[in-house]
Amino acid sequence: MPGLRINMEKLISRFFDLQDADTLSLYRKEGGYAAAKRALDLKPAAIEEEVKRSNLRGLGGAGFGCGMKWSFVPRNTGKPIYLVVNADEGEPGTFKDKYIMTYVPHLLLEGIIIASWAVGIHKAYIYIRGEYELPYLKLKAAVDEAYQAGLLGKNILGSSFDLDVVIHRGAGAYICGEETGLLESLEGKKGFPRLKPPFPAVVGLFGCPTVINNVETLSYLPFIVKSGGDWFAKLGSEKNGGLRLFSVSGHVENPGVYELSMGVTLREIIYQHAGGIRDGKKLKAVVPGGLSAAILTPNEIDVKMDFDSLKAIGSMGGSAGVIVMDETASMVEALRITMQFFAHESCGQCTPCREGTGWIYRILNRIVRGKGRLEDLDHLIDIGNYLGGTTICALADGAQMTFLSYLKKFRGEFEQFIRKSHLKENYANT
Amino acid sequence: MPTLKINGQDVTVEKGTTIIRAAEQLGISIPHYCYHPGLSIAGNCRMCLVEVEKMPKPQISCHIQCQDGMVVQTESEKVKKLRQHVLEFLLVNHPLDCPVCDQAGECRLQDYYMEHGLYDSRVNENKVKKTAKAKPIGPTIMLDSERCILCSQCVRFTDEITKTGEFGIFNRGDHSEIGVGKELDNKYSGNVADICPVGALTDRDFRFKCRVWYLQKTESVCPGCARGCNITIEANLERPQHGSGERVMRLKPRFNDQVNDWWMCDEGRYGYKFIDHDRIHQPIMRIAGAVRQVEWDEIVDDFLKSFKKLKAKDEIAVLVSPQMTNEELYLAKRFFAKDLGIEQIYLVRNKLDGYQDDLLLRADKHPNRKGAEWIGFVEHDKQTNALLDKLGKQFKGLIIFGQDIVSLFPNRNVTDSLSNLELTAFIGSNYNLTSECVQYVFPAATYAEKNGTFTNFEDRVQRIRKAFPALGESKTESEILRIFADKLHFEWPYKTEEDVFNGLVRSVNLFQGLNYKKIGTGGIKIS
Amino acid sequence: MSEFFILTQEIRKKADQICTNYPVKRAATLPVMRLVQEYYGAISREAELELAEYFNIPPADIRELMTFYTLFYSKPKGKCHIQICRTLSCALRGAEDLVHYLENKLGIKTGETTTDNQFSLDHAECLGACEIAPMAQINKEFVGPLTKAKLSQILKQNYAGIAD
Repeated sequence: MPGLRINMEKLISRFFDLQDADTLSLYRKEGGYAAAKRALDLKPAAIEEEVKRSNLRGLGGAGFGCGMKWSFVPRNTGKPIYLVVNADEGEPGTFKDKYIMTYVPHLLLEGIIIASWAVGIHKAYIYIRGEYELPYLKLKAAVDEAYQAGLLGKNILGSSFDLDVVIHRGAGAYICGEETGLLESLEGKKGFPRLKPPFPAVVGLFGCPTVINNVETLSYLPFIVKSGGDWFAKLGSEKNGGLRLFSVSGHVENPGVYELSMGVTLREIIYQHAGGIRDGKKLKAVVPGGLSAAILTPNEIDVKMDFDSLKAIGSMGGSAGVIVMDETASMVEALRITMQFFAHESCGQCTPCREGTGWIYRILNRIVRGKGRLEDLDHLIDIGNYLGGTTICALADGAQMTFLSYLKKFRGEFEQFIRKSHLKENYANT
Repeated sequence: MPTLKINGQDVTVEKGTTIIRAAEQLGISIPHYCYHPGLSIAGNCRMCLVEVEKMPKPQISCHIQCQDGMVVQTESEKVKKLRQHVLEFLLVNHPLDCPVCDQAGECRLQDYYMEHGLYDSRVNENKVKKTAKAKPIGPTIMLDSERCILCSQCVRFTDEITKTGEFGIFNRGDHSEIGVGKELDNKYSGNVADICPVGALTDRDFRFKCRVWYLQKTESVCPGCARGCNITIEANLERPQHGSGERVMRLKPRFNDQVNDWWMCDEGRYGYKFIDHDRIHQPIMRIAGAVRQVEWDEIVDDFLKSFKKLKAKDEIAVLVSPQMTNEELYLAKRFFAKDLGIEQIYLVRNKLDGYQDDLLLRADKHPNRKGAEWIGFVEHDKQTNALLDKLGKQFKGLIIFGQDIVSLFPNRNVTDSLSNLELTAFIGSNYNLTSECVQYVFPAATYAEKNGTFTNFEDRVQRIRKAFPALGESKTESEILRIFADKLHFEWPYKTEEDVFNGLVRSVNLFQGLNYKKIGTGGIKIS
Repeated sequence: MSEFFILTQEIRKKADQICTNYPVKRAATLPVMRLVQEYYGAISREAELELAEYFNIPPADIRELMTFYTLFYSKPKGKCHIQICRTLSCALRGAEDLVHYLENKLGIKTGETTTDNQFSLDHAECLGACEIAPMAQINKEFVGPLTKAKLSQILKQNYAGIAD
């Protein structure tokens, strides 16, 4: 069956070590674009069905079934359907899309072709975060190569299907990674997330039905077309199909991108793949799915790293950004930095998020500088309880989830920190 | 037509109705800041959150459309706690400006705190600093960006209604700040102070004039142009020590979806000064070079004595104005045309045509031209010209209802013409160049000091209401004509303005079937 | 205003080309603003007004974009622009110490530029390069893992006058 060579353990990441994998000539030698060509001979509905069977979930963070998302798009409104590729990769701890765009951009383009054919899309926008310079240059070169080789533009790959791709660079805002915030930014405005309903599948870019998919999600499509949805599903765990790229950073020996089964455990990621804790230190805490995910303690790391398993223990799969903290890390400081991020990136539309993230941050700042009081902790929990579940988008929900998890699982450390700072002050005053 | 339950009560609504509107129908008010029925939905304040059964998270009632079988709770414990917390969040960075803020008394932060808050503050951090404190952003509006709760109503107003786009929200997160990209000087700028739920945008004209709980409000109609926007006259009547004795503190628009929606133009909003300034307080007589302020009895008797010396039919001319109410025009017709037989009655404007747009402003700056037309007075420029020619040559007497013909027709030597007349009288509320040249000056009331009706350019009859007694010795034109009639022994059955209107209804077909009650506060359009 | 001074014909030609990628002209604001900034190093207030004119939108809308997005500057940055990440992965790997080091070496605080215009120092939130934490974006390049020694070397490379 034509398509990319399958290394069972490495589908996408195999290309990260392959020299010149970013060029069209090498990519084609490795079997690239054969799946796209095959897809154009299949019925779009068949492809959607295959993707549904694959249990491919949204790998940008939401974990929504990819095939299911496509099926929400109305095909007969008379309006053009758009594909928007979310390459904003803003969730802290996540850097895998950068690798795909830098080392094998053609894989993304092939995925875009397959998705566009399946849904009836003739125009795709790749929204890439503004800070990415090298990934952008590589992506742009790949798009130019693709146009020249008849892989994009009119009558692609010898078919009667037209597809245009435009790369749109962001300008520095985490909230533009949120689906509707991204759409607003793409339309030339501030990245203010929109009220839902209506959902982007029905009213999206320029008022037209729109599919928004993450870079990595699209990059798995060529493999699904080549080897089938069932095969892909089996690579993962129940209802969470395939492999995914885990971005591992923090206090590990070997930070980097690791392509592993959805069913892999957190313990395996840290100790088998990322080399364990650096300098022989002990694990203290892990953030499993990007900064917005609830933090996990060392006795929770046997959890499977798929969306459903992580949700079941009160955290989330998110963007698979694994941030590892050892015994030298201060949970108080870690939380302060976390909330500083959310306060800085809140778009400011909704009252709870705008005021809440800033307020929480200022209280944490005061605590870290030694002027905290024990009452602050319960007060913080009360504020945190109303931070999420009440806003237009999920930034505040993520901030709430991680915030409350720190205070719940490391309450003792916060109390000790505050008591110690009182002692210091008293001592200083004597 | 979905039917849903709100707080246990059933209500059936049009498809597409949002929960907040459906609640209104039941008389349930849901607190809100960013929602305004005349603007697009922003959904950012989160104050209108309610519980909807089967939906996992609380929903904003301003955006969610009613579905059949929906069950909504607006007063559950959960919702009440949500409101408290949203309020708490809004107040985290809000300055303690109440003592110096004009919004006090009509501020939704204050109101909702009393209704839904009543908690102790837990803020121990410094508030976020914003840049604009008491900054004028245009001729009419003052900005205090610290007070802003970022509801974005002003942004949507200048984007969607005036389409001038002055406002923007800059920065992000809790450093977000409201501001303008260019001076706010469109013709409807005053409305942003109305819609701002807090004291971030305040009216410069009203600044520090009077606390709003001292204001007495009267429903009326703006006399500034032919649209007749519905307004409220807000007056300070009990504390003359505030505002140096002025009575009218401000005008505010009143909602009328057939005339002006929620808005009014700046020209009309700020054009109330004439009610308290340059008023003629007492009757004045200018006879044989001597100018005297006199009592009513004297001027009326003296005037009528001179009046009777002339032949009414063709020696006296009367200028009625499209600023007069229907009642006054009816009485004028009855008195001058019917009872006295004067033929030379002209409708003459008091203002030149002005700016018109497709929002509210009309070029015709008189409130009752249509009413005058229905009663039988139409302005003809040719006739007015002919009249000005004949002044002093053919006529011997001229009675003017407030028009400043000296200023309106600067090249016609009106002053000289007037001095050649044997009898000149001016019945009007404010001094002008014409009132300074005539023999008999009768001080009249302004629209704020009388009851009556105007007919707007869309055939809508609307009521004005008396907000306070006429200033000084002035009387309404209606009263003045009734005094004349009485002295000349004409048997008039009118005791009140309403009587006059009922008489008008009987005699002019187009007003058939109307009465004050029917006209109410929204007016009636005559088809 | 019907004349463009800052948006030269050459810039407008490129901008027009960018606009053809979108069915709505306004969607091109971000790429065109980036273009102007690449030319001049920053987007001045006058440039903002001309951009508003070019897109036929109110000046407040361009100002909103300038203040909302972190990558648009009203004043040009120094020759060597150091944006050092402060989010969790980099913080865990000692980013705060490096910030203090740079502030001392350069004699400026984050958000400032040295008086001779050689260096600008800024904070950045997660740049998506946590595998080389602690890291910074130096002009357009991602550099890491950083140490004080490495930073010292970078500073010297960019300006001979940096004291040891």
